[in-house]
Amino acid sequence: MFVMKKQQRETSGLYEVNVTPLVDVSLTLVCILLLSSPLAFESSITVKKSAISTAVVEQRTDADRIELRLVSVDSVLVNETTVARGELRQALVPLLEASTSRLVVVGCDDAVSHGAFVDALDHAKIAGALEIAVVGR
Amino acid sequence: MKPFMDTQTPSTAKINVTPVIDVAMVLVITLLITAPMIARSDIEIDLPQTQTRSVEDEVRVSVTLGKDGRVAVEDHVVPAGNLAAALQERLRQAGNENVLVVVRADAGMPYRAVREMIQEVRSAGAKRIAFATRMRAGEDQ
Repeated sequence: MFVMKKQQRETSGLYEVNVTPLVDVSLTLVCILLLSSPLAFESSITVKKSAISTAVVEQRTDADRIELRLVSVDSVLVNETTVARGELRQALVPLLEASTSRLVVVGCDDAVSHGAFVDALDHAKIAGALEIAVVGR
Repeated sequence: MKPFMDTQTPSTAKINVTPVIDVAMVLVITLLITAPMIARSDIEIDLPQTQTRSVEDEVRVSVTLGKDGRVAVEDHVVPAGNLAAALQERLRQAGNENVLVVVRADAGMPYRAVREMIQEVRSAGAKRIAFATRMRAGEDQ
């Protein structure tokens, strides 16, 4: 009787869960996430081929045709009207609302930076452009 | 006479390999998932920042134009005149016929350099082209 009670006392203590594998896996995941986080923030903006887009645009009416051309870092031609780059979004919204295709054709002068060009594409997308085509010169 | 203790404790100790297997499995799975992401050049570039992003393909071919004018297809630096040939070879591989080609160019580069690069990318037979960007922190549309 005495022996049985002693055994029960010895085995009824708290059991410890082995957390070592869990900690190992968690630390590995944290290290991988820390290293790969700069890569995960990279995204992209898809554009249409200009050759096809230009041909399609030529067949459309003037109301449908929205053309952007970056002539400098600060100014953009929107359907031949000069607009400051900061006001590009506001200028595009009414034009895109009137357009059925919501296609924007974007051109850029050679001296303008690639960053300013992509920023114009970004503004066009925010304003509601469904498709963006890039033309050469 | 054989000592009594020798029969109680075996001479070979077992190493617990469970944590090693766990970590190795996590590494293998992570590498399998992120392999398409990390196949890009280590040429240092500062990508343009945007608020929007297009729907992206898991499989893509990246073309990089560095600040110093160096050009790379995926993680291989190629001579400037050989971009079209190198990309064409990449696009000829099975499953790459309609692959998205992502142009990664530094935000400070003049558009002329990017335009010439796009022309070469198109001449190589790329059907779908996108510009690589970096999401502005805290903005996602």
